[in-house]
Amino acid sequence: MTAYLLTVFVFICVNGVLAVTLNFILGYAGIFSLAHAVFFGIGAYVAANMALYVTTDLFVSSLAAVAVCMVFSVLLALPALRVRGEYFVAASLGLQIIAVTIFSEWHWATGGLGGLVGIPSPTIFGFKISGPLPMAILGLSCLVLVTGIIAILVRTSLGRNLMAIRDSESAALAFGKRIAAIKVLSVAISAGLAAIAGSLYAYYVRFVNVESFMLDTSILLMAMVIIGGTGSMIGPILGAFMITSLPALLSYVPNLPAQHIGSIQQIIYGLAMMLLMVFQPSGLIAFFKKREKSDVA
Amino acid sequence: MLLLQLTLNGVQTGMLYALIAAGFSLIFGMTKIFHAAHGATFVIASYAFYHLYELSGLHWTIATIGAGVAAVIFGAGLYLLLYRPIQRSEASFFTVFIAAFGAVVVVQNVVSIIYGRGFVVAQTTLSSASEILPGLYLSPLVWISVLVAVLFFAAISLFLNKTNMGISIRALADNPELVRTFGMNPNRLSLYVFIIGSILAVPAGIITTISVGVSPAVGHHVVMISLAATIVGGIGSLTGAAIAGVILGVAENVALYWVGSQWTEAVTFAILLLFIILRPSGIFGRAITN
Repeated sequence: MTAYLLTVFVFICVNGVLAVTLNFILGYAGIFSLAHAVFFGIGAYVAANMALYVTTDLFVSSLAAVAVCMVFSVLLALPALRVRGEYFVAASLGLQIIAVTIFSEWHWATGGLGGLVGIPSPTIFGFKISGPLPMAILGLSCLVLVTGIIAILVRTSLGRNLMAIRDSESAALAFGKRIAAIKVLSVAISAGLAAIAGSLYAYYVRFVNVESFMLDTSILLMAMVIIGGTGSMIGPILGAFMITSLPALLSYVPNLPAQHIGSIQQIIYGLAMMLLMVFQPSGLIAFFKKREKSDVA
Repeated sequence: MLLLQLTLNGVQTGMLYALIAAGFSLIFGMTKIFHAAHGATFVIASYAFYHLYELSGLHWTIATIGAGVAAVIFGAGLYLLLYRPIQRSEASFFTVFIAAFGAVVVVQNVVSIIYGRGFVVAQTTLSSASEILPGLYLSPLVWISVLVAVLFFAAISLFLNKTNMGISIRALADNPELVRTFGMNPNRLSLYVFIIGSILAVPAGIITTISVGVSPAVGHHVVMISLAATIVGGIGSLTGAAIAGVILGVAENVALYWVGSQWTEAVTFAILLLFIILRPSGIFGRAITN
């Protein structure tokens, strides 16, 4: 029971990191990427390969994952420089689909459809981290670290430049901002930090295969950011918490026909998304903001 | 001969893609709603036909009408109950997308509870292939899909270019406020667009059901193809979406000559990426690079 809750908690941390990093480009730069799961995947595969063949040191393997993701992020930045809006969505979708095909076909790096199995536990300065509780602490530290980095970045000139580009690209250009460089850098940061989630996931689950990095994951990450509320720090984490814990909560609902339990969970899930978007389109974060306002009044 | 066979298979797939993409492109071009649940309309039409024809044993005309009614009810219902309330609040493109995705998840799982997760096929004599030339196998479905696609496209372009309602719908794409000034109701016109767009998914759904079969999860693929064809063809251009649909269908099948079937989606989206980077306005679109 505790182990199960801790597992859910680790997944919330993994998804939280992904949602926060996605929100960095989505909420602050207006780059609507449907390819975030690709960087989650690349991070997980790099960390898994490092752990299996090079070193289980958490820092070394995570840094390698971050570096590789930053390099590959150019693939996403390239269309982002050319097009916006629905065109970019389509481009990122294309990248996601092609990446899934490569993940499942490039056997020596990804293990193909079977994936990579038997990933050893990570070590920090030679100490082995294993079991749900240490991993939960590690997950929370990752989430706090990444959220902290993003929160600081948003307050720097980079963050202000990003918001300027999001609100009016031509105005930012007129002010002499180097839009291309800023976009490439922000996409690289987002992808690089997403690799930390990949690394954490690979070490926790100890098995990675393409199933975890498909389009559905990208859409769910997008849903976490939108449902939580874009352009805030807490919103995406709230969204990640909700979307990750909902299936877990639903498994406590009594009297569901066992045979269809998975489908019924998904239906409740889908309905929740529809209702939330109809009645609270600016995300869960709006509940809190409203309350603040009414407190003042 | 294999290449010719693959090309003809591609034409059949391409015609269906063209019809699906035209519906999506029409809705997106005219109402600016990113109807990500268009694939769910396809799934509903397909399963309605399967149920009426294969399970209830009704005549194919009744089953076809039933599939059309189901698709229209779903498409129009989604517009009235989901998209319109969301549009009232200043919703972003992605609010609609997430809501539509929710609808896709619901439909996919309701259908799998009722009909199971696997593929279902409606048996007809039409899908049996015969040898036309040595080594070249064709089923009548190739010709039927070409015929159906041509008929539907002729009808839709007649409607959009010659009837008053069609002209108002095109005006809606350019300037909804002006349409209102002329005393027409943009909301009602949008509803008509959803009805027509949903109908366009029906023939493709039926032909897929009697040839390769459908599964509850096929909706995602349908939307991805529609989106790709819409962009490659140029947003707002029905002809573009249709031609792009055929190109994608043929490319996907002809690619099998060189690579394994697991690469077909990658081929489609590589074409899409090339277009977005080299010619983002698509085949027929206006220039849009920022």
